[in-house]
Amino acid sequence: MSMLKFQTVERDSFFTRLDFRPKLVMMAVISIIAFVWESPLLQMVMAFLIIIAALVVGVKFSYIRLVIMVMTPFYILLLLTHGFFNIDQVKALTGKSVLTPMFTFPESWWLIGGGMMSWEGFTYGVNAIFKTLSLTLVIPLGVFTTDVDTMIVGMVRARIPYKIAFIFSATLRFFPVLFQEIGMIIEAQRLRGLAMERMNPAQRVKVYAKVAVPLILGAMVKSQQLEVVLQSKAFSGSPVRTYLHESKMGIEDYLLIAFFVLLLIVATILYFAYGIGKFGGPI
Amino acid sequence: MSEIIVALEKVSYKYPRSLDFVLKNIDLTIQKGEFFGVIGPTGAGKTTLCLTMNAVVPQFYGGRFFGHVFVAGLDTLDYPISLLANRVGAVFDDPETQLIATSVENEIAFALENLLVPREEILKRIPHALAAVRLEGTEKKHPAELSGGQKQRLAIAAALAVQPDLLVLDEPTSQLDPVGSQEVFATVRELNKELGMTIIMSSHAAEEMAEYCDRVALLSNGELAAVGKPEEIYSQIERLLANDLRPPQVASTFYLIQQTGIPTGAIPVRMEEGSRYLKEVEEVCTIYPPKDIRQARVHTSEPVLSIKDLKHVYPDGTEALHGVSMDIREGEYVLIIGQNGAGKSTLVKHFLNLLKPTSGSVKVGGVETANLTVSQLARRIGYVAQNPDNQIFNATVGEEVAFALKALKYPPEEVESRTLEGLAAMGLSNVREIHPLALPKGDRARVVIAAILAMKPEMIIFDEPTTGQDYRGAKYILEISRQLHEMGKTIVVITHHLYLMPDYAERVLVMGKGTLLMDAPIREAYHAVELLQSTYLMPPQAVLLAQELGNLTNQSLPKLLTPEELASCFHYSHNGRTP
Amino acid sequence: MGTPSGEEREVKFLGGASIDGAPVAYIVVLAAVVTALSFIPFSIVMATGGSFPMAQGVYQLVGWVLGPIAGAVASGIGALLGVFIAPQTAGVAPVTVYGAALAAFAAGTMVHGSVRSKWWIIPGVIGVGSILFFFGRALLVNGVSLKAVILGGGGQWFGVLLFVLPTRTIFSRWIASKNIGTVAAGLFLGTWASHAIAHVAQSSITYYMYNWPEEVWMLLAGIVPVEYVARCLIGAVIGTGVIAGLRAIGLVKPTYAIY
Repeated sequence: MSMLKFQTVERDSFFTRLDFRPKLVMMAVISIIAFVWESPLLQMVMAFLIIIAALVVGVKFSYIRLVIMVMTPFYILLLLTHGFFNIDQVKALTGKSVLTPMFTFPESWWLIGGGMMSWEGFTYGVNAIFKTLSLTLVIPLGVFTTDVDTMIVGMVRARIPYKIAFIFSATLRFFPVLFQEIGMIIEAQRLRGLAMERMNPAQRVKVYAKVAVPLILGAMVKSQQLEVVLQSKAFSGSPVRTYLHESKMGIEDYLLIAFFVLLLIVATILYFAYGIGKFGGPI
Repeated sequence: MSEIIVALEKVSYKYPRSLDFVLKNIDLTIQKGEFFGVIGPTGAGKTTLCLTMNAVVPQFYGGRFFGHVFVAGLDTLDYPISLLANRVGAVFDDPETQLIATSVENEIAFALENLLVPREEILKRIPHALAAVRLEGTEKKHPAELSGGQKQRLAIAAALAVQPDLLVLDEPTSQLDPVGSQEVFATVRELNKELGMTIIMSSHAAEEMAEYCDRVALLSNGELAAVGKPEEIYSQIERLLANDLRPPQVASTFYLIQQTGIPTGAIPVRMEEGSRYLKEVEEVCTIYPPKDIRQARVHTSEPVLSIKDLKHVYPDGTEALHGVSMDIREGEYVLIIGQNGAGKSTLVKHFLNLLKPTSGSVKVGGVETANLTVSQLARRIGYVAQNPDNQIFNATVGEEVAFALKALKYPPEEVESRTLEGLAAMGLSNVREIHPLALPKGDRARVVIAAILAMKPEMIIFDEPTTGQDYRGAKYILEISRQLHEMGKTIVVITHHLYLMPDYAERVLVMGKGTLLMDAPIREAYHAVELLQSTYLMPPQAVLLAQELGNLTNQSLPKLLTPEELASCFHYSHNGRTP
Repeated sequence: MGTPSGEEREVKFLGGASIDGAPVAYIVVLAAVVTALSFIPFSIVMATGGSFPMAQGVYQLVGWVLGPIAGAVASGIGALLGVFIAPQTAGVAPVTVYGAALAAFAAGTMVHGSVRSKWWIIPGVIGVGSILFFFGRALLVNGVSLKAVILGGGGQWFGVLLFVLPTRTIFSRWIASKNIGTVAAGLFLGTWASHAIAHVAQSSITYYMYNWPEEVWMLLAGIVPVEYVARCLIGAVIGTGVIAGLRAIGLVKPTYAIY
């Protein structure tokens, strides 16, 4: 089973040895900046930097390719819709009253005849694509490079209530059990002779959704024994406990946090004072 | 060995929502260093009794509690559960729900962290605990990467790590295959013998309990019916049977011999003594086999299922089946045995088209399954999975039975008539409007079977129907299989409980490491002792005794399977031996 | 047995660890359900080409079973783990988690008694605020026509309306009904209402990023209603099965469950 736990990078590096807290700050800062910026060039640069960082710390190229493959239809949709149809917004953002045409379909073409792709709309689409890519890839960059134990202790140290951290870790433990159970339930359902291919969509939705019913009920029944187990192991949900794993912030962790906080401040100043990062801004 | 570690005084207990008391006036003392067994049918109160020792009963559940439980001198009602967790290590039946951490080392650390044990100390205890259950080197593994037996051993290690005064194990082997079960018993015995750990263990594994326990308590309907040494408890055959408990076969055998008027002295409950007694009894008896030994029916009908050179390689490269060939004929009752991972499930999934052969052929009714859909096959072969609850999708018994029929667009009259037939065959007509989950577990299995019967399949496969069941539950479902067999259905059963099957199965397929090790009538298969043991399957004690008897008398006795058959060979003659 | 012969003891009933009246163990298993179902796509049965993980069909149910806070914790953590394990499936991760938690929270506040009868205002305000921002941006900034917004956002505004109007309490009353058909109706419409709250809250963020033009809104006018119906059907099918089952098993109900 490949989905037992987080995918983890095999390469041990400066980055994998970092605490989870600076990585949380990194993910937050990058997400905020990617969300706010609308400059295609800057978005592209940031996305490439993230990809390079991910590759350097050991995220496999095949994984990055997978993400891009999965998202490609969406990216094409973004490019086409913005290129052809985003007119009012880009006019407002750039202050132009006429957009720069890239090409126009001949009037005689059926349905799409006369459609014009504008440079402004196209680049706005490019911005949206790399924005999405950055937001997606910052997760593996932070998560795949962190050991689960470090992550959980990091959460506790970051003042996330212990009960929440426990639920996070226990969920990670139990979902493979349930995932396997889904497989068995789907098999059991097929073995009842239900022929999906002969049903209409509504019927199929109804029958297929029922797979979740025994899954959830079974899980609720299991939770009864889980409670007794937790009791037997002196679990009270209290944060007053010791931890096998340590999470100590080193100088490099503090430096990284400082770097990203600074990055956010600088990006904010540049954005508001000089329009850097805005669509149609200087860069 | 005189220090008392657990004392129950007049303990009675009622859960907040139970109608009657679940424990009734129990008085019991357990000595330090004892291996103490708790036996009784499902519902007798074994689990509740186990949970009184760490105060989960009553402090977690609430309810009404009478009397006192002292553990290591502490009255369990005067101390919080968290404090008792330091004294009592608990291990439960389900390997999945009792492991709650994401790695082996975290599992062991979890209770220690809750108990505020310093990190340096936890680091010291982890290797010790793992060594005690022989799981060294697995620290970083996710629980899902362990086998069933390893999971239970990890649970034991986690319980040991708190350095408790006693270990309480509630049916720790009931979900395991024979290898896993042997691992757990061996581990627990070693902890008891080597470290002097006090063990309190409930289990349905009669042979093992008789072998390992110092004393056994028999619980019946919440009352302590008897306490004593295994030879005192397991020799009371009638009492055990009256409580739906299965005696060790060696005890049953000598009990039955005794019933024919042959003096056997005491009734042995362990194999070792059984062999000794066998010799003594044999000397005062004439041994000849009964004439009416039932021989398995030989089926010459058309094969329902025909498999040739079946190979299966999983996508990850594991070769799970290496060229299996066999036929199953109409009306047969076939037993498939083997360890987890031997290829049983992989084989059966090919019957149902859930897996496609990598090479070789699988034909059902003469048609390659590759040309049939799962749904078409499901109408010919019914499959009853181990957990009936994973197969229940609807809110009433009637709807459940009609579920597939409706989806397959049978006309309403036929849906109704088939539903009625299915319900009637399984004796469920009067619970048609009830929610299946409101029924007891055995009845829920019947709901699933009724739903399968409504499809009118020729063959029905039962996948580990006896796992996690007590004797009564197991017999109950096997009786259903018999009933279906008598209706003319072809039956395939997969189980680890060999001793339950002589009354039912005709033919046995022994699987090991992806090959069909043996395909023979049940008598041949059960007597292929070396072959069975080579794949860690334990032949029933009656089979072993029958072989010893054959050796003793130098006779070639027919291949006997059950205590009844074995006992019927003994004929009392005061001078013995000469026929 | 006659009477117990031992003295009756005072039982300190402590129960287990819980969050807002829901046992931690319930939260764990339901979060694990959400994570596991995050990997089961519904595209297998959806002919429309729209694909969403089955987890989306249970966020609301988790809220109804555990109550608003514990429900939000279970759905949120479940979705978060789904994102962490397979980021490629999640789209914009924080938005996915926010939506999962909010859907369960909104569902959990759909009560009909006097207990916590004002809690719905929180998701209500989020829903209405989001829809104002979302539709407002479309109409005023991006020049989308009113017709396109009304049609393309039909599922959303209708659902938000169902949530903020007293219809909310009717659905919750239905969900608590003994009649399973009524429960199903309550679940169908309750799913619509609480999903819409989460959906507009998510859309207001993603719309800020993507600024879909008019043509996309018109496209959505054809897809969104079908998706809503499918999603609500799934919510109703799963919910009825689970609620009927929970009632039959008789598990202890979390304090703020509404089934």
